[in-house]
Amino acid sequence: MCGEHGNNCFVHVDSGLPPVGLKCVVNGEEIQACVDPTMTLLNFLRNELKLFGTKEGCGEGECGACTIIMNGETVNSCIILAVEADGAEILTVEGLAKDGELSILQQEFIKMDALQCGFCTPGMLMSARALLDRNPNPSEEEIKEALAGNFCRCTGYIPIIDAVKSAAKREREELK
Amino acid sequence: MLSKFDYYKPKSIKEALDYLDNNDETRILAGGTDLMILLRRNAITCKHILDIKAIPEIQRFDYKNGEGLYIGAGVNVNQIVDSEIIEEKYPALHQAAASLASYQLRNRATLVGNICNASPGGDLPPVLLVYDAEVHIIGPEGEKMVNIKDFFLGVKKTILKDNEIVLGVLLPDVEEGDNSVYLKQSRLKGHDLATVGVAARRNNENKISLAIAAVAPIPLKLTELEDVINEKGLSNDLPDWVEGEIKKYISPISDVRSSKEYRIHISGVLAKRALQTLIEKEVN
Repeated sequence: MCGEHGNNCFVHVDSGLPPVGLKCVVNGEEIQACVDPTMTLLNFLRNELKLFGTKEGCGEGECGACTIIMNGETVNSCIILAVEADGAEILTVEGLAKDGELSILQQEFIKMDALQCGFCTPGMLMSARALLDRNPNPSEEEIKEALAGNFCRCTGYIPIIDAVKSAAKREREELK
Repeated sequence: MLSKFDYYKPKSIKEALDYLDNNDETRILAGGTDLMILLRRNAITCKHILDIKAIPEIQRFDYKNGEGLYIGAGVNVNQIVDSEIIEEKYPALHQAAASLASYQLRNRATLVGNICNASPGGDLPPVLLVYDAEVHIIGPEGEKMVNIKDFFLGVKKTILKDNEIVLGVLLPDVEEGDNSVYLKQSRLKGHDLATVGVAARRNNENKISLAIAAVAPIPLKLTELEDVINEKGLSNDLPDWVEGEIKKYISPISDVRSSKEYRIHISGVLAKRALQTLIEKEVN
């Protein structure tokens, strides 16, 4: 404990290094914390903020299970240091639902059976969310390109692509 | 992670250079898409991380008529993919950037990181080689511009000293009629390192430049082959001739991505296709 941030002091004793201050907005909530300089953003979200939606797969930026949206762009949170998120605005899968209601994108994933084990789903949802934010009417090729960094090992790619397509259509119709 | 590093994020070049001078075992962090993986695998260790992203100069990203294209060390690969001027003036750079890793990684990975990492199979170095790019380096003794072909020393080795920083890369301006192409063979489409990557350029005076990745310890500019090509001049037979000839100039190895024999074969195929593209464009 560095003693400066009350319950938000997340200094791990293992490195023994001086903590680094971190201020960011996570899913609309302002977070002030101090963290170990070697902590990854993924570990900060999961272990300290207890946001367990974001998953660790490969830990090397290959599989996309840890995908979050940082300052409007998708990133692999497993290969970013927590301190690098200082001043950033972060959206995780927990931030997609509003007032207890799942977003259109999440509803379409369920409707299209776009998940089996569900491990890749949070990352898929974040990549798809960022895609629809920059391109509300993506082609199948554009969807594939946007999701190329998200691996699904239950071979569910076709329903996932279908879910993104139908979510795009519904968003264009319903969120005008 | 075994490394126990602290983290420093300077706001000026001077602060960064002072820090490098006073702190051994410092690693420079930009996108982190290579560094973080190496640290996690304990393939490298360091005591300090110097995050250069708050230095204003490294965000420079502009094209000036007569001068060329400057890409700062903080510019990520998706910024390059999205640039219309790059797609128009330096098409091979657009193609190589778009082929690099996944969307998420391209949001973090930088062009300068791609050259400083000095992987033999990096996608962007062959393109910089055909454009005769200059690497903008700053250190305690001041600034210098180094031609990209003199920058790489070996696998993961460059001329960069521990107390120097690459601020950016300058691609000289191109004249009307300049064209280029990047072709990459990988095991799967969408998210893989290059088994072989070939960049070819034809300038407005019909001079051909050729560079190739993942067939030697460093990204190679095929200078000798270029000389022979440019002496022969452009013809419809040229691509087929280069397909057979290129194997004399490369020395690939076998690894997890490909056998040596396949790399030699596909280098010829890609070089042929690249030249066909550049020569056909003129006929049409």
